Amino acid sequence: MADTILRRWNQEITIAGIAILFLLPLLAIQPKTYLTLTIAGLAMGMLLFLVASGVSIIFGLMDVLNFAHGALFAWGAYVGFSVFQTLMKWVVADSILQNLAVFCIAMVAAMVTVGLLGVILERVIVRRVYGNHLFQILITFGTTIVLVELIRVFWGPNDEVMTVPRTFSGNWDIMDVIVSRYRIICILLGGVVYGLIQLILKKTKLGTIVRAGVEDRDMVQAMGHNIYLLFTGVFAVGAGLAALGGLSMSIFSLQVYPDMGGTYLLFAFIVVIIGGLGSVTGSLVGALIVGLSYNYVAYLVPWAAAGVNVLIMIIILLIRPTGLFQK
Amino acid sequence: MPMTEPTPVQMFHMEEKSRQYHSGGFFLKIALLLLFLLVPFLFPSFKTVDLAIQIIIFGALVASFDILLGYTGILSFGHGMFFGLGAYCMAFLLGKYGMPSYSNLLLGFAFAAAVSAVLALLISLLTLRVKAIFFSMITLAIAELAIVLFTKLSGLTGGEDGISFMTPGIFNASFSMGDFMGIEITGKIITYYFILLCCVALFLAMLRFTKSPLGRVLQAIRDNAQRAEALGNKTFVYQSISITFGCVVAALIGALYAMWMEYVNPESSLGVMTIMLDVLLMVIIGGMGTLYGGIIGAAFLKITQTFLPDLQSLAQDMFPQAELLHNILERWLLLFGILFILVVIFFPKGVIGSLQERRYQKKKN
Repeated sequence: MADTILRRWNQEITIAGIAILFLLPLLAIQPKTYLTLTIAGLAMGMLLFLVASGVSIIFGLMDVLNFAHGALFAWGAYVGFSVFQTLMKWVVADSILQNLAVFCIAMVAAMVTVGLLGVILERVIVRRVYGNHLFQILITFGTTIVLVELIRVFWGPNDEVMTVPRTFSGNWDIMDVIVSRYRIICILLGGVVYGLIQLILKKTKLGTIVRAGVEDRDMVQAMGHNIYLLFTGVFAVGAGLAALGGLSMSIFSLQVYPDMGGTYLLFAFIVVIIGGLGSVTGSLVGALIVGLSYNYVAYLVPWAAAGVNVLIMIIILLIRPTGLFQK
Repeated sequence: MPMTEPTPVQMFHMEEKSRQYHSGGFFLKIALLLLFLLVPFLFPSFKTVDLAIQIIIFGALVASFDILLGYTGILSFGHGMFFGLGAYCMAFLLGKYGMPSYSNLLLGFAFAAAVSAVLALLISLLTLRVKAIFFSMITLAIAELAIVLFTKLSGLTGGEDGISFMTPGIFNASFSMGDFMGIEITGKIITYYFILLCCVALFLAMLRFTKSPLGRVLQAIRDNAQRAEALGNKTFVYQSISITFGCVVAALIGALYAMWMEYVNPESSLGVMTIMLDVLLMVIIGGMGTLYGGIIGAAFLKITQTFLPDLQSLAQDMFPQAELLHNILERWLLLFGILFILVVIFFPKGVIGSLQERRYQKKKN
């Protein structure tokens, strides 16, 4: 009986357990600070989810571990940066409509550019090494070097300051809890993207084919679907998500720099190892775990912040080697 | 005594033994060793000696990386970290927490080996249970973490400024043994020969390792893990042993590197994007699973890197107008990245691997 319940509510129990675990810092932190930190952590988690979900879906469907995802992330940030530079008047304007418009333009530009880059990447480079993990890692690592160096050629090697759209900056003061506006936007953005991915995967025919491809690639091909076209499409979508993540993250951290992809690629890897490679929900939960614990620990013991995520990853690997949401 | 038919493996060994001292490759290796032995006398300038030692050290480091990549089929991004850990062990014992003495030098090597062995064993125990690709992801994460820790904990590790220290006795730069053949034998030159000796010894140890029964099982696992397991080999144990061996060698080489530089810092000793990138390029250019390829790759890359500034100024003098050329030469990493991708796609066996394959084809015909 208990066994059946455990199996049926497996995911829900895991989520509940994690939620309880994250109430623990309340013992050491004042409730108001705790809320601020939680919102910061959720926002960071949502942004990490954008990067990690791409890595996870690409691995799940194509069995490709994409080390170039971090470079695509940086490209997204830089394309957005260029759009912001050209439409500076709208960025600094004190009107929500113009700010939103420029944000949307930057978003579309970044996603389309990097999506196309992803198509080229998949067609020209990754396609040659399907089925060989070692060469995939080597070749995507080489691609990272080239893409990052290209950023240095096009945009220059120095750090640049990213301007936050005027109405996005600033805080709300809700009953003495300070809430940054942009963080709320990030949380909403992540939620919408998660909803969209789930909707497409669960409700459309395309999503059904993708999910079937994750289960059994050969069978999908045998049923007459062009799996290689699907691969290219999924790779492009993953790249687009990385670009969206890069753009949002650069506004979040107020800067762009050529090597920014490396740091977030590592976060993404930790997230997918925690959540399980190939699972979108796993990426979301993993990203939130990483974002929240990073913020709590950075507040409590600043020097340990970099290590806590690696520690969590090691613990997860010990108790559940395939990640929280892997079947 | 009944004559028994030799097994195929024995026949292979016998054939290899009979060829051992007659092949061109053997003389090439002896010539190479002689060249490295004579470098301080032939080209006494510090730049060339430094280049030679870099080639020796990185050749050996790439060979130890090849134990993991070419013979075990596992890609580690933490190899630079192990190299750096070895360097830091040496720096701690000779500089920050000790003083230059021969016993501390030996202790430095011992610590480098012990620390890296424990860490490598832990990482492989954690990750190999799941999937071999997890090893790449996790070593990348841990290597980055190591850089952050060594930079942030500046009280313990010297932070970004790094640690400079002195080597003891006859290895010290101020030591002099008088002239020999018109060249002053300084502590630096003695250190050069010491490092050369150690690297050759380590290289021979790695060669022996790959030729041992253990090495053969490892190659079997790399080529077909399921089959090797079905034949009754514990793949997990073998892979862990090989990873630990490769990482310990890397740490020892790191300690030697620190002896030469007399300085360590997080960026140049631990860096993923500095050391690992070089090592990956070298192993790919030289050829995976060949060990000797590392020397070719190291020589190519180090010589290019040393003479690149000259090339840049030459280009500036000859074509002062060509902006694009200067931009590209300044971003030489871009060229190396493109080279890396092209080699992986079109030339995946590298220089030595392709040569070996051609010889094998010739023999078959």
